[in-house]
Amino acid sequence: MNSNSDHKMPLSQRPEWSDVTPVPQDDGPNPVVPISYTDDFRETMDYFRAVYLADERSPRALHLTAEAIALNAANYTVWQFRRLILESLEADLHEELNFVDLVASSNSKNYQIWHHRRWAAEKLGAEATSRELEFTKKVFSADAKHYHAWSHRQWVLQALGGWEDELAYCQQLLEEDIFNNSAWNQRYFVITRSPLLGGLETMRDSEVSYTAEAIISKPENESPWRYLRGLFKNDMQSLVNDPQVLSLCLTVLKAENVSYVFALSMLLDLLCHGLQPSEELKNAAHALTSEAGPPGSDLARTVCSVLERVDPMRINYWKWRKSTLPAQVV
Amino acid sequence: MEDSPPGSSPDSNSPSRAESFDRDRHVFFLQMMYQLMPSQYQGQEINRLTLAYFAVSGLHILRSVDSLHKEEIISWVLSLQAHPKNEALLNDGQFYGFHGSRSSQFQKIDNGVWTPNGSHLASTYCAVAILKTVGHDLSVTDSETILKSLKNLQQPDGSFMPIHSGAETDLRFVYCAAAISSMLGNWSGMDREMAKEYIINCQSYDGGFGLTPGSESHGGATYCAVASLQLMGYIEDGLLSKRASSCIIDVPLLLNWSLQRQAADGGFQGRPNKPTDTCYAFWVGGVLRILGAYQFIDETALRNFLLTCQSEYGGFSKLPGQLPDLYHSFYGFSAFSLLEEPGLHPIRVELGIADNAAIGL
Repeated sequence: MNSNSDHKMPLSQRPEWSDVTPVPQDDGPNPVVPISYTDDFRETMDYFRAVYLADERSPRALHLTAEAIALNAANYTVWQFRRLILESLEADLHEELNFVDLVASSNSKNYQIWHHRRWAAEKLGAEATSRELEFTKKVFSADAKHYHAWSHRQWVLQALGGWEDELAYCQQLLEEDIFNNSAWNQRYFVITRSPLLGGLETMRDSEVSYTAEAIISKPENESPWRYLRGLFKNDMQSLVNDPQVLSLCLTVLKAENVSYVFALSMLLDLLCHGLQPSEELKNAAHALTSEAGPPGSDLARTVCSVLERVDPMRINYWKWRKSTLPAQVV
Repeated sequence: MEDSPPGSSPDSNSPSRAESFDRDRHVFFLQMMYQLMPSQYQGQEINRLTLAYFAVSGLHILRSVDSLHKEEIISWVLSLQAHPKNEALLNDGQFYGFHGSRSSQFQKIDNGVWTPNGSHLASTYCAVAILKTVGHDLSVTDSETILKSLKNLQQPDGSFMPIHSGAETDLRFVYCAAAISSMLGNWSGMDREMAKEYIINCQSYDGGFGLTPGSESHGGATYCAVASLQLMGYIEDGLLSKRASSCIIDVPLLLNWSLQRQAADGGFQGRPNKPTDTCYAFWVGGVLRILGAYQFIDETALRNFLLTCQSEYGGFSKLPGQLPDLYHSFYGFSAFSLLEEPGLHPIRVELGIADNAAIGL
């Protein structure tokens, strides 16, 4: 399947293809952005067109689609015809998944491969579950944020099952890299959709503790802050009243030599949703300003001012937030 | 105390950047690509129309499209259109749009009809965008064929499949359907309410949008979501001043998420804690433009980042110091248009074409 293989004989010289007349591509006059095809590519596609037009669903046609895919894994017409051949030949789809494994090793960022996997897995049903979960794990060991693989894994869980170890797997990935936003997203996916867990509200308290720990270890990490907010989706009042959340913000604001931008941003959102801040919180925020004297009554304005200074890339945004604070905010 | 997401802090050994946007060299780059693409692109053969869109629309944004033979372009694009053999077949469940290239059109049978019909939604978007750019109006009959058969691609959950023979469904194709409908000025080909519901289901807990419900929020997916809602009429101007409850999506969270995508090196990233990349200056920058929040970014920092991705050969690369490619070049030019670079046409950001192409001048 190596498209650069020197020992691959041209199709026109292979005896098993001598009965087939290749069909050339007719670009017409003045084609736009013509591509400089290699001979290999051109010839393989010429033979593919021939078997397609003849609707030949034979083993040699199947093999030809493999060669075409090796040269051009994005060509969905080839993949689609391969599926027709596989169905006609009643091919072993476990073998087919082996084939896709091979193609994926050099083409993993290709939508057609993932669709083909899904097609085969869907036909195999529950038999394919652990294999597909293992396959995506393998992809993650090389690229833990691989977008297609995560989509595929989510599809497998929802269509075929296998939720038992998913939360533990997220935990493992986060232990390896607490900054892995894909793993945080998957964690949210599991706690909200797993039929084996109790749903978001049941899981919330333990998840808040877990997330707080992650934040304390790396307060500059955006992912757990977003996750924390997500735990209170559609329930801002619970977020505002949650003692763990307030304690967390306070801890970060009072710590030395840490990034507190996300903590301030969280505090600002809490204030905008009606938080009545404690004296301790007011003092901690005020300590970050260069102002002398006791904290004023406008905590939200103070927070915006600090953010303008410590997050200058978004200075215009923080200025706008300051100018659009709800009337009754502290 | 500044935020410094992993992998994006300024590097003192980073390649030196040009001081200015090198329009002439970019025009040259696009013209070369338009004439002949190197064999490394043969893997993108099936999407040749997309490559043509990058070249033609790119030249238009750079105010150099008149250097091309418009009639040639029009006849090539139209030759890629799929037609049913007769009127009756329009209800056969197939989509009759445009092929991405001749590599999915194998044989002409009769009346200019090719077999098989491998026409694709994304290629159709590119075809219509190119035709708009060179000033060709699709005839009423042609638009009807596209719009009537577009319905065949919409799924029960509101999403779109790109080809009728079966493929993945996600936000990219909702966007293509909306953009095609908008450019053809006719919404009869899709159920907007259903599409809107699908989009809403794609908004993640962090405010951004994933390609499918449950997927990680991503800059490109977020553009598809927001641009589609705008085109379909579900997002109004002045969105930022509206109260949160009056909007179908969580705008404040979306705004905050999108702005946070601008990293310490000035460029935009597609997801938290990932490297910055030229193209997100368009995808995420575009979202902010649609929301009316573009003025909240640090334009100087973005410009400086993009200039480190500007190639001495013309075009833009994905990351600083790499070789340019057509995709990142097009989105680099579009990003500079959003930055109001002098000498560039302004773009209609939700359609991905120049403003004056969108209004048919």
